[in-house]
Amino acid sequence: MVHNKIRRINHGYLFVAPFIIGFLLFGLYPVYNTLSLSFTDATLMKVDSNFIGLKNFERLFQDKTFLTAVTNTWELWIMNFIPQLGIAMLLAVWFTDVRLKIKAGGVWRMLFYMPNLLMPAAIAALYFSLFSYYGPVNQFLVRSNLIPEAIDFLRNKEITRAIVVFIQWWMWYGQTTILLMAAMTSISISLYEAAVIDGANSWKMFRYITLPLIKPVMIYILVTSLVGGMQMFDIPMLLTDGRGSPANAILTNNIMMYMRFRSSQGHIGAASTIGVMIFIMTTFVALLIFYLLREKHDDFKGKSG
Amino acid sequence: MKKVSLLISILVLFSMLLAACAPATEAPAAEQPAAEQPAAEQPAAEQPAAEQPVATGKTVLNVWSFTNEIMTMAVAFEKSHPDVDVVYTMIPMTNGEYQTKLMATLGTADVPDVVALEAAFVKSYVESDFLADLGDLLPYAKEMEVYPFVTDVGTHEGVIKAYAYQATPGAVFYRRSLAKEYFGTDDPAEMQEILGDMDKFVAAAEVVKEKSDGNTYMVASNGDFMNLFYANREQPWVVDDTLTVDPMVNKMVETVKIFRDNGYEARATQWQEGWFAGMNDTLTDAAGNPKKIFSYFLPTWGLPYVLAPNATSADGTSTTVGDWAVITGPLPYQWGGTWLGVMKDSKKMDLAKEFIRFCTLDEENLTNWATGVYTNEYLKEIDPSVPEGQYQAAGDFVGSQVVVRKITSSFDDSEMSKFLGGQNSYGGFAEAAPSVSARLFQGSDDAIQRALNDPLNSYLEGTIDLDEMWSLWKDAVRNEFPDLIIP
Amino acid sequence: MIKNYRISTNILRFFIYLFLAVLLIITLLPVWLLLVNATRSTLEIQQGISLLPSQYTLSNYKILLSKGLDLPRGFLNSLTIAAATTVITVYFSMLTAYGIVGYEFKGKKFLYNSILVLVMIPMQLSIIGFYQYMSRFGLTDNYLSLILPSVASAGAVFFFKQYLESIMIQDLIDAGRIDGASELGIFHRIMFPIAVPGAFTLGIFTFVASWNNFFNAYILITSRQKYTLPMLVQTLRGDVYRHEYGAIYLGLAASVIPIIIIYFLFSRYIVNGISMGAVKE
Repeated sequence: MVHNKIRRINHGYLFVAPFIIGFLLFGLYPVYNTLSLSFTDATLMKVDSNFIGLKNFERLFQDKTFLTAVTNTWELWIMNFIPQLGIAMLLAVWFTDVRLKIKAGGVWRMLFYMPNLLMPAAIAALYFSLFSYYGPVNQFLVRSNLIPEAIDFLRNKEITRAIVVFIQWWMWYGQTTILLMAAMTSISISLYEAAVIDGANSWKMFRYITLPLIKPVMIYILVTSLVGGMQMFDIPMLLTDGRGSPANAILTNNIMMYMRFRSSQGHIGAASTIGVMIFIMTTFVALLIFYLLREKHDDFKGKSG
Repeated sequence: MKKVSLLISILVLFSMLLAACAPATEAPAAEQPAAEQPAAEQPAAEQPAAEQPVATGKTVLNVWSFTNEIMTMAVAFEKSHPDVDVVYTMIPMTNGEYQTKLMATLGTADVPDVVALEAAFVKSYVESDFLADLGDLLPYAKEMEVYPFVTDVGTHEGVIKAYAYQATPGAVFYRRSLAKEYFGTDDPAEMQEILGDMDKFVAAAEVVKEKSDGNTYMVASNGDFMNLFYANREQPWVVDDTLTVDPMVNKMVETVKIFRDNGYEARATQWQEGWFAGMNDTLTDAAGNPKKIFSYFLPTWGLPYVLAPNATSADGTSTTVGDWAVITGPLPYQWGGTWLGVMKDSKKMDLAKEFIRFCTLDEENLTNWATGVYTNEYLKEIDPSVPEGQYQAAGDFVGSQVVVRKITSSFDDSEMSKFLGGQNSYGGFAEAAPSVSARLFQGSDDAIQRALNDPLNSYLEGTIDLDEMWSLWKDAVRNEFPDLIIP
Repeated sequence: MIKNYRISTNILRFFIYLFLAVLLIITLLPVWLLLVNATRSTLEIQQGISLLPSQYTLSNYKILLSKGLDLPRGFLNSLTIAAATTVITVYFSMLTAYGIVGYEFKGKKFLYNSILVLVMIPMQLSIIGFYQYMSRFGLTDNYLSLILPSVASAGAVFFFKQYLESIMIQDLIDAGRIDGASELGIFHRIMFPIAVPGAFTLGIFTFVASWNNFFNAYILITSRQKYTLPMLVQTLRGDVYRHEYGAIYLGLAASVIPIIIIYFLFSRYIVNGISMGAVKE
């Protein structure tokens, strides 16, 4: 028996070994590289670089653009995440509700996921031409007398932000729906049957059965969306001029990082500093989420057998 | 232990499977990509010229560019250098992939031999330590009488590191029919008088607006003005590591504000739908009213690549072909262009230099290039695998004054002069080119100028005032140049 | 009482369907516009939007061909990378997650926390470091540099850790051990079949992400014959002075349609898998 247990402990290592080897081979160096660059004045156009300690960080904290970028990133993420989760939750509940019997739930879900299949570059190009000054949205709105004259949508801060938020929501709510449905369908029907016998209403069943049981998936969605949101890049980068215009309205952390990196000198030192800051911020918030949503159920999971 | 070996074997199995998927595992990638693929895998017609197997023992020269243009030269080069295989890699400049990728290879074994450098970033490479000294080729440049501003761009601290086959002076293209209607003449010489300086240009914009009841705009976008003013500054952007604003920049801001506020400008965006629509007279505002554009600021290459291809509408009902004329306009300027340099780490320095000489300083090649000798059939004869769309149409304005003098008259009766209502634009450019200056070019120009676009647009929209605009711009510049002193 | 309930359910159902229909239009309209634009000429596209297809598909395709774009090869390249990445990601991530969920070992907590931290590292930046690192192994311009790192996909491990926790059946695993199955055999024959729906779900996400990812491929792949589909389409946009919008959209559509088909084929398995999962307690 003791022998058996040791064997099993060793197996734990074996199972995770490919991951660790893969990480050591491919993942470690880029991470180390980023971290060490953040303390230098390295540029891509120079052969040598100097260690400058925390100077990059000092400069970054004095730069009010960085504050703008951080605020923007949070706003853009939260504004798209709340409706994304809300609508996905609504859809998942409807599609899995045995009483509503929504027809062809799988087909709906499949169609709602479609935007995610498109390349971000294609999406950005499409929305750009839709909302340009001489574009079809203006044509439609003016000709149907909804607005008196054309609006330069993508030179308006609020509208541009709204478009980014909408695209992000549009791209991702389908995936969130799939994940939530996957979690909800695996909840045993007998739990709901028992609840119906006890006279529970829909809301109570959702609150006390569904929600607690889909928690692991919820944590997954929340954390991956947070990480993705903090690194939001493709759409705001490609929608306007790649600099977060108009007036830095959609300048995100990653765009700012990329701008430093792509500047004519290629300031990878200064860019790495932003990368490190994004990382620290994301980690802090993610750990906070884990801490807040942490529960006893972690303990009983392992022992359920 | 049995399980360990099982696990390892699975890993090995997987990597073998993958190796099979990517046939190029062992070959050192950059040195000889062509050798990596078995000949059987080559669908003959689709492969770009350069990617033939090197079984013949040819010397490989790696050339990177951001358009297909130079591939034509590469094929022509192979004709006169049969022992050379030019491996041509085209990486688009869209969203800066080319620049990013080029930067990534710096200092690695994958660095190409010859690189094409666009006006926007050529200077940062010329200022860096990564390009080789091409001083050996200067005698050729002298002999070909290359326009000084072309070599100026490729020179840093007295060392020349890049040459260009083009010269790209800018000009103003205007609609003949509209000129007649509003100014009573469409003659280029007379129009040059009417639009000869910036104050005249503004006054003319008012005339256009008045006489058309606001249905014709003087220019399509404010972006049209940028290169014009930037090229006429007297101080560079960076003086002693300090950001400097030349009075010309203030003048530019003033001018575009006047154009926006008075409705002289169509509020289109350069390189976008509305901007192109004006070229073939199909621009309509959101309510469906037709609008016209009087003039476009475009350089030499703007005629064959931008104006001519867009001068006829989709259904063919609306065309402006033959209705254009070109003049120097209010100020001389230059815009764009492609330079070629050799990477310092190249192991084929002599061959690379010979390639540069051929592309940029060879009389015969430049003549062929500009006069439309390099047709698809011509290239196919050299290398049958050249794709259908690969050719060089006549009319590119070359950097050698010797060649320009020689070929100018050949355009008197060309497609291009028909497009311009009989005017030979080549001659016009030849007159404008010597007055262009590029002394002020710096590696940071493009980033600094781009940084101004967005604050400027907000200022034109009226959402911020002038001071806010400058401070937003300075923030953006600081963002890209952490070491710059910004007053 | 029961009748009343039925009526209200029907009204509710009506509004739900209405909501779904509106959502569907919002969701699919841009996709439709993209596909329609593939059939329209460049100048038609510049002139405005249309919901109806035009007749320029063929001429757009000819433009694509004249630029020397080998779409079938690009398709094959993308498929190779995406399929290999998906298989490796799903298999090794589930293996790692199973090791974490199913076994107790020293440093497990540390490992899991490190994985979580890895999820949060912004990758756009490290690509240059990665390129220069791969260059030392001669792995640039090689698919291995795109595929092999997926052995250690922190996000996927995170997904499976959460997922396996909710579907793990310790009894079955113990029963397998009593029957004398090896630990790896238990993973393959007992755990993996139970986790198939999750594997398909994550597999599809991974496949789509890999199919559409062109930034990494752009940096790492140089030779034209190894270009992925998104990269080929992007080369069209490289010709900034000659925007062939029609051809670009056709290229985009050509890269979107295969993935839509693949998605439709495989999403059936998610549905089946999930109902399968629902049977178990």
